[in-house]
Amino acid sequence: MTTAAADTPIKGSFRGLSDLGLVARQVGYEQLSFWLNPIGAALTIGFSVVFIIIFLSTSRHSTVNFLAHINLGQYYLPAFASYGVMAACFNIMSINLVNRREMGLLKRLRLSPVPEWVVLAAIFVNAMIIAAIQIVLVLLVGWLGYGVTGPHEAGLFVLVVLVGMFSFTAVGVGVSTLVPNADSAAPILSLVFFILIALSGLYFPVKAGSGLATFTDIFPIRHLILASVDTFNNVPGTSPWNDILVMLVWGAAGVWVSLRRWDWSPKRG
Amino acid sequence: MPAVSVEHLSKSYGENLAVRDVSFEVQKGEVFALLGPNGAGKTTCVEILEGFRKRSSGQVETLGVDPADLSTQRWLRSRIGVVLQELAIEPYYSVRQVLTRNAGYYPNPRPVDEVIELTGLAEKADDRVKRLSGGQQRRLDVGLGIIGNPELMFLDEPTTGLDPSGRRETWELIKRLSAEGTTVLLTTHYMDEVEALADRVAVLFGQEIVASGTPASIGGRDVGAVTIRFRLPEGVSADDLPVPATTADDGQAEIRTEEEVRVLHELTGWALAGGHPLSGLSVLRVSLEDVYLGLTKESSAEAAADWSARP
Repeated sequence: MTTAAADTPIKGSFRGLSDLGLVARQVGYEQLSFWLNPIGAALTIGFSVVFIIIFLSTSRHSTVNFLAHINLGQYYLPAFASYGVMAACFNIMSINLVNRREMGLLKRLRLSPVPEWVVLAAIFVNAMIIAAIQIVLVLLVGWLGYGVTGPHEAGLFVLVVLVGMFSFTAVGVGVSTLVPNADSAAPILSLVFFILIALSGLYFPVKAGSGLATFTDIFPIRHLILASVDTFNNVPGTSPWNDILVMLVWGAAGVWVSLRRWDWSPKRG
Repeated sequence: MPAVSVEHLSKSYGENLAVRDVSFEVQKGEVFALLGPNGAGKTTCVEILEGFRKRSSGQVETLGVDPADLSTQRWLRSRIGVVLQELAIEPYYSVRQVLTRNAGYYPNPRPVDEVIELTGLAEKADDRVKRLSGGQQRRLDVGLGIIGNPELMFLDEPTTGLDPSGRRETWELIKRLSAEGTTVLLTTHYMDEVEALADRVAVLFGQEIVASGTPASIGGRDVGAVTIRFRLPEGVSADDLPVPATTADDGQAEIRTEEEVRVLHELTGWALAGGHPLSGLSVLRVSLEDVYLGLTKESSAEAAADWSARP
């Protein structure tokens, strides 16, 4: 039983530093949950590492003519680093969110004294950590195994990665609200995701102005890949700011959809 | 001040009415049951009281505050415990990990080991949730409900899906919480659960409360007719008895009366005087299930009459 001293209702939901501690604690449990499923964790982290090894091994002597003749390896490394952001912050996070919602886990959290923003912040930070692990591993493979160099504009590269994390998380949360049940979460989200990353230039560079580029320019994926490649290589005549702007617009759209459609209850659609 | 106060509560989802003009109070330390079939509105009521859903109209107070008031919601949630209708526990954590995590959400939690002991999961404390049986997961779910040391517990069909021993264990846990002074509001569609646990019960049917009272008195159960049954002595027919009786399908004599003392006096006096044994003599009061079925049948008939009387 609670004590008599606690009988007066306390107003407000922000408890300052202790809430930041709560975020850190919740992130710890998010990470624990991720690593307690070692097969899932290995597949998540391993996919980008295995693919960067395959792509760097088969592209050592090729160049991208329409990108200032940079080595194809210099293209793939930042592209797969950006894949880490997209996979962790969009694909895995949104599937996870739908599953948790449909299992009633979000509802249970909502009924505890933990503020909603703490729960969502922890999910975001957890996705950032998983993305960061993938980026570091991919970069280490490229640097140490294949002699790829960069990022040549490190500050801008980090900014691009951070904007990408925000944008893809916001879109991921928004999209998760549109998925009606847990059974369809992985098929729908993964299908859309893997088709779009292929068309947007993850596996092969897509020349600007082509029909494919024009189509995929609508989505944020190509912009994150291009901005990462640009800032990683300091490609002459390119600028990441337009790509950053498009990602921010998508991020804002994701926030808007999330705010309108977010529900802590299972949809059971 | 009651722990829960509900006045004229209504809730609609679009054109669908989920709860209509519901009023009741739950006193501190009481076990109060909302009894009703699926779709009656029990969960909607409870979710409004928890602050999870907004009401359409009416007045509601939980522990003295409006559960829809965002400014006191965090305070309120630190003082209530919730057991949801469906299991909701992360499968990869161990029992201890998930309890420890949730204990950290509350300002004054129960010790994790105490909750593990209370829920009978001591031997499974380090097992992953996904390795537990359904009954063990349900007990852990109840453990998550009490980990915050709540003043008020909401239990939404807490024993659905449990085997008989699991149900009994959960009942014992609820009784223990009640004995410690925790107020309990539970929803159920099991009559025996109401009889075993509840101090008071409200029957929710067709989105409204159709009766309320103690389990022993609801629907006039304590003052209604009783049924007296016994085997007819050899050579005696129902017409020979000193009080009007009928013969049931199994050959036993059956007397329905609201004056059981007088009827029993006349019957046993006649049996003693004539040396008639009244084998298997029993006096049966109407069961809670009979009352419940009667109430819900009446309400269905009234609803049908209202519908047909519409212009």
